This record gives sequence, C-alpha cells and structure tokens, in this order.
Amino acid sequence: MKKRNKKRSSQSNFNKLSIFQPHKYKFKKKCPLSGKEAPIIDYKNIKLLKKYVTENGKIMPSRVTSVSQKKQRELSLSIKRARNLALI
Amino acid sequence: MNLYEHTIVARQDRSPNQLKKIQEKYTKLVETFDGNIVKTENWGLLNLSYLIKKNKKGNYIHFKIKGNGKTISELEKNEKIDTDLLRYLTVKVKEFDLKTNYFGKKEEEKEKKQTN
Repeated sequence: MKKRNKKRSSQSNFNKLSIFQPHKYKFKKKCPLSGKEAPIIDYKNIKLLKKYVTENGKIMPSRVTSVSQKKQRELSLSIKRARNLALI
Repeated sequence: MNLYEHTIVARQDRSPNQLKKIQEKYTKLVETFDGNIVKTENWGLLNLSYLIKKNKKGNYIHFKIKGNGKTISELEKNEKIDTDLLRYLTVKVKEFDLKTNYFGKKEEEKEKKQTN
C-alpha cells in the first residue's frame, strides 16, 4: 500500500510521506465527479468525456483518475454511447 | 409514458432541404404511433471521429421524445432500412434537461446574426 500512496501523492505532499506519519493524512484524492458541484456525466458532454479518455481513445482506469466506482460505471457507459455516434 | 432521447446521424452530402424532410418524416412517424416530440435540436454538420461508410462528416439531429416502447421500436425499424442515415441512438432518461445545450453554440450565433 505504501508504494501506491507514494506514487499518487504530488510533490507538495512529500513531507507527509515519512514512515511515522499520523493516521489522519490520507493520500487519496477525492473523486472529481461526485459531490455537489460536480459536472453531469452525459454522452453529449464531449468536453468532459475527453478528459477521461487516452489519446488512442481508451477509457482511463479509475485508479489513475480517482473517479469513484459508481461514477466510473456511468462514465464508461456514456463514453461507449458517444463512441457509437462517432463523437469521440 | 416514458422519456427518450433520440439522435440520428444523416449522411454528409444531404442538402438542408433533404434534412428537413428527414426530420419531418420522423416527427410524423412518432406522432402516428401516439408519441409526442418535446424538442428537436439540430446539431448541424459535425466531424465524425472515424469513417462510417466512407463518410467523414455527419448531420446530427436530436429528438426528445415522450412515448412508449412501441413508438421507439417502430422508429428504429424504419431507421434501420433508411439509406440516408448512418447511425441512430436512443437513450431512456428519467428527466429531460432542456437548459444545457452542448452543441448549440453555432446556432445561437446564427440567430443573433439574423436578428441583428
């Protein structure tokens, strides 16, 4: 787990990376698509969907983008819909 | 009654008149099978991200339909045979959001120009 945490954290968090870190510091990012002011996931919203797609058109894994499980399911569905219409 | 969002992609070489006819044809079809069209959006000519039947671009028309399953099945049955169309997609939704328009920027500009 420690290795993973190190990868995820940015450089500004470097000080918190000591072995004796207190429990309250978590290195998980929050999901960018859940919460009150999150954008709506929709197959028409291409701008948003393109953020979560690689250059080759593959869907990015949630462990990279830190999207929650529920939202990742919605995302993948709407990306596939957009693909069918040749929007992505 | 259910709410559906329906999008069709027509071929690139169709003239505006033909596109209007296509739109009218399907609005009539929906109405004959006791459906109701709440809104139609014309997204215009967009670039396809990959070739479909040697077409690089497509004319997108988007319907918001209130109807039951039979209307949709009849619609899709007719669209399957239609040679003017490249793709179609129906999505069942719980609510329409009529405010946000993701492809409407160009149209709004045109309307502004016309009013000016």
